Amino acid sequence: MRIKIRGISLANIMTPFVIIAAAMLITSALIMTTGANPLNAYYHLLTGVFSNIIDTINRTVPIAFTAFAVALGIKVGLFNIGLESQFLMGSLASAAAGAYITGLPSAMHVPLCLIVGMLSGMLYALPVTAMFVGKGANLLVLQLLFNSIGTLICTYFIAGPFAGENPAVAAMPRIQATAQLPNLINGPNKLSISILFVILVAFAIWFYLNKTTGGYQLRAVGDNADAARYAGINVKKYHFWVLLAGGGLAGFAGALDVTGNFYRMYGNYSPGYGFDGIPIAMLANGNPLGMVIGAIVFGALRVGSVNMQAKAGVSVEIVKVIQGVLIMLISAQHFVRFLVGKYIKNSERSGKA
Amino acid sequence: MNQSIIFIMIMSMMRLTVPIIIAALGNMYCLQAGIMNLGADGMMIAGAFGAALTTYFTGNVWLGVLVGVLAGGIIGSLHSLICVEFGGMQNVSGLGLNILAAGVTTFLCRTVFKSNMTPSVKNMFTTPVLAGIPVIGDLLMQFSPIFYIMIVLSFISWYVMAKTVAGLHIIAVGSDPRTTETAGINVWRLKHICVITCGLMTGLAGAYLSLGQLDRFVEGMTSGKGMLAIIAVTIGRRKPLKTVAAALVFGFFDALQLQIQIKNVLDLPPELILSIPYVVAVLALLFGSSKSMDKVNLNPYVKNKYEF
Amino acid sequence: MDIAIKMSGISMRFPGVLANDNIDFNVRRAEVHALVGENGAGKSTLMNILYGLYIPTAGEIEIWGQKKVFHSVPDAMRAGIGMVHQHFMLIPHLTIADNIVLGEEPCKGNRYLRAEAVKQIEVVCNKYDMHIDPTALVSSVSLGVRQRVEIVKALYRKAEIIILDEPTAVLTPQEIDDLGRVLQKLKAMGKTIIIITHKMQEVMNFSDRITVLRRGRIVGTVSTDETNADEVTQMMVGRSVHLGGDRKAVSIGNAVLRVENLHYHDGRVQKIKDVSFDVYEGEVFGIAGIDNSGQKEISEVITGIIKADKGQIIFDGKNITDWQTEKIRHAGIGFIPQDRQKSGLALGMSVRENMILGYQNLPEYKERGFLLNQEAITKNIDNKIEQYDIRLSSPEAVTRTLSGGNQQKVVVAREIGHATRLILADQPSRGVDIGAIELIHKALIDARNEGKAVLLISLELDEVMLLSDRIGVLHSGKLMGILDAKEATREQIGLMMAGGGVKHAY
Repeated sequence: MRIKIRGISLANIMTPFVIIAAAMLITSALIMTTGANPLNAYYHLLTGVFSNIIDTINRTVPIAFTAFAVALGIKVGLFNIGLESQFLMGSLASAAAGAYITGLPSAMHVPLCLIVGMLSGMLYALPVTAMFVGKGANLLVLQLLFNSIGTLICTYFIAGPFAGENPAVAAMPRIQATAQLPNLINGPNKLSISILFVILVAFAIWFYLNKTTGGYQLRAVGDNADAARYAGINVKKYHFWVLLAGGGLAGFAGALDVTGNFYRMYGNYSPGYGFDGIPIAMLANGNPLGMVIGAIVFGALRVGSVNMQAKAGVSVEIVKVIQGVLIMLISAQHFVRFLVGKYIKNSERSGKA
Repeated sequence: MNQSIIFIMIMSMMRLTVPIIIAALGNMYCLQAGIMNLGADGMMIAGAFGAALTTYFTGNVWLGVLVGVLAGGIIGSLHSLICVEFGGMQNVSGLGLNILAAGVTTFLCRTVFKSNMTPSVKNMFTTPVLAGIPVIGDLLMQFSPIFYIMIVLSFISWYVMAKTVAGLHIIAVGSDPRTTETAGINVWRLKHICVITCGLMTGLAGAYLSLGQLDRFVEGMTSGKGMLAIIAVTIGRRKPLKTVAAALVFGFFDALQLQIQIKNVLDLPPELILSIPYVVAVLALLFGSSKSMDKVNLNPYVKNKYEF
Repeated sequence: MDIAIKMSGISMRFPGVLANDNIDFNVRRAEVHALVGENGAGKSTLMNILYGLYIPTAGEIEIWGQKKVFHSVPDAMRAGIGMVHQHFMLIPHLTIADNIVLGEEPCKGNRYLRAEAVKQIEVVCNKYDMHIDPTALVSSVSLGVRQRVEIVKALYRKAEIIILDEPTAVLTPQEIDDLGRVLQKLKAMGKTIIIITHKMQEVMNFSDRITVLRRGRIVGTVSTDETNADEVTQMMVGRSVHLGGDRKAVSIGNAVLRVENLHYHDGRVQKIKDVSFDVYEGEVFGIAGIDNSGQKEISEVITGIIKADKGQIIFDGKNITDWQTEKIRHAGIGFIPQDRQKSGLALGMSVRENMILGYQNLPEYKERGFLLNQEAITKNIDNKIEQYDIRLSSPEAVTRTLSGGNQQKVVVAREIGHATRLILADQPSRGVDIGAIELIHKALIDARNEGKAVLLISLELDEVMLLSDRIGVLHSGKLMGILDAKEATREQIGLMMAGGGVKHAY
């Protein structure tokens, strides 16, 4: 007997929370080995978040976009892990367009930077996509290699042709004022309009997947590429466009990060946004609302971890640890669901007795 | 003049290729048994950090190597637990392990050493014990002990896969777990052994990085070498000798890249030169044919008690 | 009389299904015992229990009078039981010798003694007069030989009891006769044999006794010479079954499909060699042949999934050789693929959504050119569920949760329901229970009666002969001949399937 809530079993709902809880426990254990107090650390994490909610929302944006990119990939049956380098390419290109192009009014400069960022993300995704769709080369390994290459390319540009004013800091020049994203809330902590893009894109993706014929075909490809082929659907076309769209979304996110957050691109900047998207998309199972919430949580993690490092002495790298643990647990998702289901069944039985 | 350049290149290549060959051999077992391992980088970096950390605190290189090997083995065990025992998603697990290992090692490094690298530790660049050998002693001693371990491991791997019952079983398990199970072989135990062995060996490769190639641990020092190892296995069709050959090719390009930087022969920025091995790997994947009779079955094979 | 196997009160419960329900089953020494039942009756489950693959939820097993409990396959093998599975348990790129000795290799310490293995196998082969080459790769030999390898594998491990699961599914009629001779020889040497099958021909020809299972329960055990095929079928299904639909006299119309001089090669193998045939309105054209004779390739070429090297396909006078699959479907050809799970259904999506798979771009299912017309899609599924009696919890149910028979009904309903001119049915009754087969046959014949054309491909010769008006026989990619179904005999067709006797009646 399974408890069902509107058709979804209880085990399905509880599993993501169990996974998150387990991740927190494991991370706490690691924190304890360094002599710090995990509760103290979490306290400062939370205070960091709530004293800076606006920044959290700003951080949410790029993460949400990478989650969308991963989710689209999953729906079409592919695993997209090249987003990190595509994000960086988007940042690089839009930072360049923002810094070096002068004399444009804001109404043109901002869209230009965003589009340039999106296109460079797509462009960087193109070789891998072409090799995968055209020759059937191993997508994952290629993406990982291109991630490594992409980092090197960015380092080169930022140290060389695109070097900034201050030789001591590895960074690009600041973008022009006309390239900065308009803000919804000005003041010490600004909230740029980037959050609106998140809502727009989330809705657009949901609508496309569920209400249109194209989205239906995409989902069919993801469920059973062979059956889709037999049904006359062009599988390669969908693989191609979803991977490119992923690159575009990641590049766009990179552009938003530059034009909305820091107004320049730093060297050695590898925020790992590309890897946040994976656990979020998988835990939320492609549900846009779930992904936005997940992105907010991860954004909060990043903002809060700075405070946590300052006040509790726990290195910000802990965020990567949480990422890693989450992904590990998600890979065993089915097993976790199995255990949760068994636990529910057992407690039902003992409850009745 | 030319002769000494070639000599330097060969020496350099042999040194740089050691971690890739060891990791490739380890991953060969894993892949042949039917488990994809994207976490090779994670196993390597765990080994590198474990080795450096231990050597720093104990002053004993061999203890460092041991801990490095075990660290890799622990990562391997996690991968094995999730993929073999629970039938989880191999790609996700591997990726997660990479991020986890990178995160944990960086976290500990910064927390313990307050920097993104450890201080210099005792190293094993050379094998002084061999200096006594007549004629070639001076040459032989210039390689790390781990280099010689690598040679032994290569021969052992060839022998295991070609001549032993265990090798036959590994091939069987990777091709068709169901058939192998009905033949009375414990499929899961064999897969566990293969994945954990992969972890141990890749950990050894990592230990070489921080003790035999460099004399410290630096954040992110594995930088994709694990991926190169996996690609070497794929190109070598999971056969020991071909895998070693493929790994040697990567070692060659790594050495080439290093020499170009040192000699500053071409006036190119360092980053682009550093990317040579990766570009070669991409090209290898692009032009390597994937049509092969002996494809491995990467589907999870779950025990009946976990049927859900 | 010795009782080789005595299974008492065996029950096997899986989550949600009772596959075996309190079964008592006896097999005598040196007899050939047929275990029959339709798909899903529980025969394979019962034998898998005997072979140590499953542990029964209740019941006992006695082998030669001794109580045995099997926790694993080696346990069963030690008791002298060997099994030849329907899908051969062989590793293609290892040698025959490697495969036969796997798990019990002759070895010295850890070293594998290959030469010794070959020698030992040759001894076994000579003893039982079986002919195989131990040094050949499994991938290089035919299916008939592979089956022999499986039998030698059982004999090498000293099996006294041999179970064969659906042994004739992949054999030509001649190879089936060969198998019969092998079984008689083994029986004469004292071996006890159980064959699991649903093919009446083999049951009546090979067996001494027959046990019938239905829905997990024993219906009864009879002596073969005291019964006949119809009686046994009745026992299997529990009612009289009418396969073959309601055939009406229909006049043959125009040629709907003309296949002309088709050639296709895959890698180094020529899969279709100059095949030509026509299919007319109001007829069922059946294609007979053993597995992998080119059937899959022919259907994929006709439906545009692959492109032929040479030749043409003319549909209602139009040359569709280069058309895309979707265009072909929209033009009125429905295609029931060979493997419903692999190629016919998106198992993770709802039944409702699967019911338009392949037809989603028809104008009636679209709104404003790019949106899904939910109303039309719902109406479609509701109609089909009723028409085809599809059993499911709701139209939104995930297709994976349906039984094999119902899944096939979804595919059949979708393709026959949307095809206006021709239905290409590739193995429509594979792995499907008799109730569903009845319905599928009726749907195909009804389509024929309405003047549509049906191209039927099936590995079950009985089905081809039952449903077709004309029969084409395929062998190694070549059409050996076209026969009138009313006059063709099994022997004629069997000969052609194996490569002999070319005939062109039409």
